[in-house]
Amino acid sequence: MSDEKKKKKKAINRLKTMYPLRANIDKGYERSVEATKAGKPTAWSMVNWWEADPILKAMDIEIVYPENYGAVCAAFGKAQAFLDRSDAEGFPTHMCGYARNCIGYAAKMKELGEIPSEAPMGGMPKPMLLLCSGALCDARIKWFQALGRYLDAPVWTVEMPHPGVEESQMPGVREKAIDFMVKELREFVVFLERLTGRKMDWNKLDEIANDLIAINKIWYDLNEMRKVRPCPMHSRDFWTCMNASLFPAGDPKEALRLYQDMYDEVKQRVDDKIGAVANEKYRMIFGELPPWHALKIFDELAERGWNFVIESWAYQAPKPMDYSKISDPIERIATQTYQWLTGYFEDALKEKEYMGYFAYPYIEWARTFQCDGALFHPLITCRTATNHLILAQDRLLSKWNVPAMIAEGDIVDLNLFDYADTMRKAEVLEEMMDHHKKVRQERGLEW
Amino acid sequence: MTKAVIINGDGKTCSSIIGPTGPEHRRLANKVMEDALRQANLSFEEISCVIATGYGRINVPFADRQITELTCHAKGVASFFPTARTAIDIGGQDAKGLKIKNGKLVDFVMNDRCAAGTGRFLEILVDTLGLKIEELGNTSLKSTKKVQISNTCTVFAQMEVMTHLSQGTPLPDIVAGLHDAIATRVVRMAKKLKIEPDVVFTGGVAKNIGMVNALKDNLGLEVLVPDEPLLTGALGAAILGKELTLKALAEGKPIHEKERRLEEATFFQAESN
Amino acid sequence: MTAEEKKGIARAKEIYQDRALRAKELKAEGKQVMGYFCLYPVLEVLTAFDIAPFRILGDMKEPITKADACLPTVVCPFVRSAFDLGLKGRYDFFDGVVMCHSCDIGEKASHIWRIYLDPSYYHFLDTPHTVHKAAQEQFKGQLEDFIKTLESFTGKELSTDKLKEAVEIYNRQRALVRELYDLNKSDPPLVSGTEIIEIMVALMSIPVDEGNDLLKQVITEAKERSDGPQKKPYRLLVWGSVIDNTALIEMIESVGANVVMDDTCVGSRAYFPVVETTDDPLDGLAYRYLVELKCPRTFWEAEYGETKKDYIKDLDSRFGYVKDYIKEWDVNGVILQSVRYCDIHGYEVPGIGDYLNHNSLPNIYIEHDYSEGALAPLRTRVQAFLELIG
Ligand code: SF4
Ligand code: SF4
Repeated sequence: MSDEKKKKKKAINRLKTMYPLRANIDKGYERSVEATKAGKPTAWSMVNWWEADPILKAMDIEIVYPENYGAVCAAFGKAQAFLDRSDAEGFPTHMCGYARNCIGYAAKMKELGEIPSEAPMGGMPKPMLLLCSGALCDARIKWFQALGRYLDAPVWTVEMPHPGVEESQMPGVREKAIDFMVKELREFVVFLERLTGRKMDWNKLDEIANDLIAINKIWYDLNEMRKVRPCPMHSRDFWTCMNASLFPAGDPKEALRLYQDMYDEVKQRVDDKIGAVANEKYRMIFGELPPWHALKIFDELAERGWNFVIESWAYQAPKPMDYSKISDPIERIATQTYQWLTGYFEDALKEKEYMGYFAYPYIEWARTFQCDGALFHPLITCRTATNHLILAQDRLLSKWNVPAMIAEGDIVDLNLFDYADTMRKAEVLEEMMDHHKKVRQERGLEW
Repeated sequence: MTKAVIINGDGKTCSSIIGPTGPEHRRLANKVMEDALRQANLSFEEISCVIATGYGRINVPFADRQITELTCHAKGVASFFPTARTAIDIGGQDAKGLKIKNGKLVDFVMNDRCAAGTGRFLEILVDTLGLKIEELGNTSLKSTKKVQISNTCTVFAQMEVMTHLSQGTPLPDIVAGLHDAIATRVVRMAKKLKIEPDVVFTGGVAKNIGMVNALKDNLGLEVLVPDEPLLTGALGAAILGKELTLKALAEGKPIHEKERRLEEATFFQAESN
Repeated sequence: MTAEEKKGIARAKEIYQDRALRAKELKAEGKQVMGYFCLYPVLEVLTAFDIAPFRILGDMKEPITKADACLPTVVCPFVRSAFDLGLKGRYDFFDGVVMCHSCDIGEKASHIWRIYLDPSYYHFLDTPHTVHKAAQEQFKGQLEDFIKTLESFTGKELSTDKLKEAVEIYNRQRALVRELYDLNKSDPPLVSGTEIIEIMVALMSIPVDEGNDLLKQVITEAKERSDGPQKKPYRLLVWGSVIDNTALIEMIESVGANVVMDDTCVGSRAYFPVVETTDDPLDGLAYRYLVELKCPRTFWEAEYGETKKDYIKDLDSRFGYVKDYIKEWDVNGVILQSVRYCDIHGYEVPGIGDYLNHNSLPNIYIEHDYSEGALAPLRTRVQAFLELIG
């Protein structure tokens, strides 16, 4: 028994370079908590896909992310009290767990006049600005606006157009959209200058914009290498490291260097034909955010030969493009974000798939990453991460004979994820994957 | 359950009846009415005002008015406990929180969507436990280490209870856990009202000492329980009936808004389903 | 048309009960009918192309069965219901649909609609979230793109004169709706809240000129009728997410109140703002649809780029118009309502509650799941609320 245990290696072969990258993310977080506590101007922001954060960074404003903090509170088992508080404040209970956690926190902080002592990881300090983004989950604008009950910080919203797939390819649409974003971002800069009494450091902005583009490029290329068999990197490494790109806290140069190391390691594995899972039997897609508290399910699945080779579009880097001719940093920023949002649209239109983000990328990846199946994890209180999953499941099966299973959970109410039930469903999915693999071969598909 | 209370002009109770539960509201209403009249030794003609309340209030054809159980409850609670500011009522199908000021309802919250957090939750689970509803209170008092029932959904909670039973967890600890689960839910809901003392606990479940203790623990406050927690709503309705009658008499207006066959103002009576 | 042809309120009810009644006749006459979702597709544009707009709504009576296979159950049940009707063929007479970015789920459901229902014409009108100058320009550009797709679909070019005409005729409709609502400033109101829903739904199911005729009939009839609503002690305003079925208002009116005013999008929200005449009609249209439509899906700030924050001032800028309604319609209680899973309205509830409390106006929040059957428990809530107002 003990012998067997010793022999048995961890089913997922984690990347070594992942650890320092993660440590850097955590360190960045701690540093920012300290800075904000020391009185540095702080903004509460939300994931805005590089559209607004570089501007805050260039103005030397510290950023905290209540969305991230919701996950932190959940992980520390501290979310429930904040959720209850939000309910007691009269906010409907069906709404986003991250938002309700944040609202409960803000209410508590106002009541106490200071950071609640039970708040994990030092809490979130009082902001001087609430920065919203209309990207994807536009209800987040309402969330920050609702914080006006508890915080006297002004609210700003950065715009992001969401064209339809076909509409996006009409002449001029792209240019107009980027131009609109640029105009709004310039307004934002003016506003920030007024708010902080500081001047924008344009050189710094230029540098940060380039760093983020470079980070995203390397992160994209690195993930592209996961197309090979066996796939060298598991989704778990993706999730551990995605924050350095999504929430650009800390020093971007350092993050860039660490991503580069990670790239090298993955490259090495490709050359050596080393997979993240020893016997890669099923190449899998994962949909939306994982069940953070039940990640060991991936080890158990890995033992059955499941390798998660690609995941959620919303957290991936934009498709690379040439930014070198865009001299204005604001325009470069807007272009990158717009590219992230609509990068798959052109191909989606060719295939007449009209949900160009969220759903279409899964359809493309199923083919390009040669996937056997998908595991979708819809979040009960997050409609944005859930809306498209039934569609994606349906399209994957009817288009490519790639079956998907749906295992429900939540971002904050961790009890909702049913581990045992998911494992039972997984067994059924295996049978389906075996069956559909044959069908794909009969259809003459490449995998 | 269908209940009736008759009071007289001095506010004294002439009769109070707790009748059976059932879907046939109309028939049951007539029956408890007859029983109440018999107990008070009165004829229907002697009743000056009839107020119907509760879910079945629209199915009481002989009522002068329908008033919701929320207003009636607040009235009833205030008549027992003039110092009451908050009332928590856990009935068979719903749970309510009431905010009371100067004997009047000023705000309320209600849960009527789901069985968890109502008496129904216990009704469903007693079978699983092999106990009778009346035994729950005393059983829970023997608990030394109550279990955590993490699921708020009744079906899942039932599965949790079964797991505990199969693991040999002592019955009292499970029952105490169930009481705690309901109390947690109800208090969470009631917090929307900004709870102030005195807190009064009513409804069928308030007869269960284990529930009373669980509620106290969750609130961190003392709770008051009337002698007949089941009749609070009906009594409140009767008091409102009396007040309406007196007001109408004072204003020289007819008591009955709609035509009723027989009327002579002497007594006040109420119905509640 | 037959001799027993209905008029006024009865006609509105008839259309309400069979929404496609007139649309199908129009189709038989060779006219084009297009579905639109939410309030942002600019109706003047469709009308200028001789296309009759038809608002996509749900049906509270119809259990959602087919939509479950395409949309998860945790999204807005109104959207699910509307989509369910589409899947069941209730909207098969459309020549196409115009969707918009009402909210996140509105956007996703639009694309899902296209995928499963494959309309011959589809346009998604993206809608900015802010009302800044740049957003207005952006929206105008988006309208130009919308026009381009219609031009290629119809093979016709948009005539500016026709667009201006359409603006005029819609403004007339808006003025008539206001006139109708004004009738409810009296006590008792002349038209019940339930009838208002029927009339508004009817307007959204027929061409604008016919709607104007209908409104004129309704107004004359309401002024002369003797069978109008009774005087009741409570005059309520209903705020919140879309109400396109009478059941909820009927329930409220059945417990002793008159619903005399609303702030919902099959009601005043859809009709009160008018379009300013501008040289380029698209300027006025973009402004009206983006800035003047007061739906919480749009981000409003008390003052553009304000760096200070004053909560009450902020609320005032967002809900001040509701306070005006309350004054003008002599409202003594407000029902805040929303369908479950609507995040947009959900976040707004405590704020508007604060604002009403600040102005000493009794209010209650009720949430429903867009089905008639589930309204019963709400009746108790509403009635208790009325008892509490006293
Ligand atoms: S996307 Fe989901 S998790 Fe994020 S803020 Fe919106 S609802 Fe919450
Ligand atoms: S009711 Fe709410 S969720 Fe539904 S479409 Fe309207 S704004 Fe969106």
